[in-house]
Amino acid sequence: MEYILKNGIVYDPTHNVTGDRKDVMIKDGKIVDNVSSDAKVLDVTDKLVMAAGVDVHAHIAGPKLCVGRLYRPEDSRAGVVPKTDITRAETGFSIPSCSATGYRYSRMGYGTVTEAAVPPLEAKHTHEEIMAIPNIDVSPLALFGNNWFVLQFVKKNDLEGLAAFVSAWLKLSKCYGMKVVNPCGSEAWGWGMNVHGIDDPAPHWDVTGREVVRALTQVNEMLGLPHSMHVHPNDLGHPGNYPTTIGTLDAVKDVKKNPNVIRDQTIHCTHLQFHCYGGTSWRDAKSGAAPVADYINKNKHVTCDVGQVTFDETTTMTADAPMEYDLYKLSGLKWANKDIELETASGLIPIIYSPKAPVNALQWAIGLELFLLINDPWQVVLTTDSPNAGPFIRYPRIMSWLMSSDRRTEMLENEVHKWATKRTDLASLDRVYDWSDIATVTRSAPAKILGLEQRGHLGVGANADVAVYDIEPENFDATKASNASVIEDVMGRAAYTIKDGEIVVKDGKIVKVVPSRHMWTNVTGFEEQEKKVLEDIMPMFNRYYTVKFENYKVFDHYIDPAIEFKIDAGK
Amino acid sequence: MFRLKTITLTLKKFSSIALEFEELIPDTVYNWSKEDFENYQVPIGNTRFPLTNYFDIEVEGDAEGPEDVKMILDGDMSRVKYIGYRMTAGEIIVNGDADLQAGAEMIGGSLKINGNAESYVGREMRGGSIEVMGNVREYCGTSYIGEWRGMSGGVIKVHGNAGKQLADCMSGGEIYIGGSCDILAGIHMTKGYIEIGGDVTRWPGGQMKNGTIVIKGKLSSLLEGFKNEGIFVDPDIEGKQLTGKYIKYKGDIGVNGKGSLWLNAEKNRNLL
Repeated sequence: MEYILKNGIVYDPTHNVTGDRKDVMIKDGKIVDNVSSDAKVLDVTDKLVMAAGVDVHAHIAGPKLCVGRLYRPEDSRAGVVPKTDITRAETGFSIPSCSATGYRYSRMGYGTVTEAAVPPLEAKHTHEEIMAIPNIDVSPLALFGNNWFVLQFVKKNDLEGLAAFVSAWLKLSKCYGMKVVNPCGSEAWGWGMNVHGIDDPAPHWDVTGREVVRALTQVNEMLGLPHSMHVHPNDLGHPGNYPTTIGTLDAVKDVKKNPNVIRDQTIHCTHLQFHCYGGTSWRDAKSGAAPVADYINKNKHVTCDVGQVTFDETTTMTADAPMEYDLYKLSGLKWANKDIELETASGLIPIIYSPKAPVNALQWAIGLELFLLINDPWQVVLTTDSPNAGPFIRYPRIMSWLMSSDRRTEMLENEVHKWATKRTDLASLDRVYDWSDIATVTRSAPAKILGLEQRGHLGVGANADVAVYDIEPENFDATKASNASVIEDVMGRAAYTIKDGEIVVKDGKIVKVVPSRHMWTNVTGFEEQEKKVLEDIMPMFNRYYTVKFENYKVFDHYIDPAIEFKIDAGK
Repeated sequence: MFRLKTITLTLKKFSSIALEFEELIPDTVYNWSKEDFENYQVPIGNTRFPLTNYFDIEVEGDAEGPEDVKMILDGDMSRVKYIGYRMTAGEIIVNGDADLQAGAEMIGGSLKINGNAESYVGREMRGGSIEVMGNVREYCGTSYIGEWRGMSGGVIKVHGNAGKQLADCMSGGEIYIGGSCDILAGIHMTKGYIEIGGDVTRWPGGQMKNGTIVIKGKLSSLLEGFKNEGIFVDPDIEGKQLTGKYIKYKGDIGVNGKGSLWLNAEKNRNLL
């Protein structure tokens, strides 16, 4: 099928296209520069055209979601949409049903989403849920930061062995890249403890977060994985944590980037907002965004996503189990906890972010400060760490905040607690994002950060993942406070979402359902080392895991359809 | 000017698959004519059927708003769910039994059931009044499953017995049970008033943080988290004058609770 999107106003930061009137041509699921006369014309005159959105960090599939749905049946009452001839019924707000997840991303014009935390032991479950999520390709990241084998390799300083282990485990779990969550902290949680800072060792291991992050980042570059190390540093959500964050980023400053990757960074710091707190306790907590943003402005080896708080009743779920316990003690609401054997832990609680609550107002303001203080939009990505700081359906609302300083002032003056003004610099920041910046932080930058060459842009050869929005950028003043609700509305229901050359959304409604593809990285060139490593670790595996190795692996029928990223590590 | 619209639905065919009445509340039907009812399709299972298959319909008078409406449901409504769901005003009278969720999420008006009611009567009720002449089953005046914010206002009066977990997570309003009550009445409650006329099996007030529970009958088993604060004669509890001797407990200390549980001293001499 061929399409030509005619006369749209195109934003494609990858190719420096900023609001040019252009036709976008599609053939066989790819962007092309020429189509035949049979091409179907879609008249998008004056409308906003971008590549489909790419989400670098969200929790959309896997056991945490399932526990969340079981544990929060009350959440499923919100967001109920009856089935149609094309779609299944939707339920849920912060933890939507699988199909609702796909439809909602698709309606916002997104085409690729990263599932940010997959314990390899539960990878099968994650892939099963991805099979039930339509219309978005999913790149799952496997958790390595508290894995016993990883800790063992790090302790022995055996990077070669660690590389072989990572390579083998990505194949076993069919994941796209590596994620580290509170390195050593979730392991300490097995003993009811946490670690504080990057130099506090995990009990009984004598290995620190710094050593784990460094070793895994080195291995990531040794193998040349498409995505960089994706890290959730220690001390999440604790006042005074920003030096830990800078310390973590600085710990890998000297690691040399693999020359074969398209990304610029060697470390991606996720939901940075939760890691930028100053002060010593919640009494004197204040923003630590400025020093962290300053560090990022000066260091190109770092990228981040924000994890913007959106003032909703949502659900927090993370492999940072000790932090979840702290949060449970603060909120007093219900709490679920899970131990993932040799790999990690996880926790889950409901949370209500209220604009009237001092701490939540501070968190909201710190998130926006990061967006505005980090100069290069290619280093910062729009996320809510969905659903932790807010559900992903709020992305359009965040866009409206970024595009209008008047709207932010209005909120600071009338809607949010005064901590947002008194304890952060948000009120003094009048920078606004334009459509090009929005396209960068929601598509182009995340695609590049993830190492996805064919996504996040509209160049020839790119995947034909395109979003068209029913707004005329040339005749619309996005800086006006009263237009914020228009942005939120329009960006939340795409006029067209095209996935691999097929129209899946039209006028904000799902018109076609296609299966999501499982993106995974297949590292070659380490076969011998992998064999040896597997032999070496098998006694420990057999002794401590409750599953047999034969049943541990994700079989191919769990990842149909798949996109395999073949990496030649020997190169 | 005084107006009143009386809508009478008389059951003529019993459906073993439950009918759902969430749309048939005074708020939506106050301006409906008889024809409107005859054209209406009522949800049953995963589909809808004409209301006239099941009911004879009579409409008399007219109304300007839901407060002018009196709905009378005659017959065995034990397979009619969501009667009075989210109603804000007006009156509904059920001359028979009612199925699940009667008066759930009710905001105002009154609902009277001249029979027994199933579980979830007055779930997450915010205002108005519910009176049940017979018994209610489990979870009367509670929260939705998983929800930690339960009934916050209004009055539920049950003349018969109540089942398990009465008023789970209650945070306001009043509940009066004339008869006996099963386990865990007032569990997780944070505010509000519960009065039980008859006997209670076990564990009232488990993990209660605040609020008041009065038990006039015999309690078979008290939780360990309740601390005896002495005996009071004819106590005045939240403006309600009780007669006789009552033992006062404070709890549940397991959650640092400051709720009060009052037990009739005569009926619970074993605790003296």
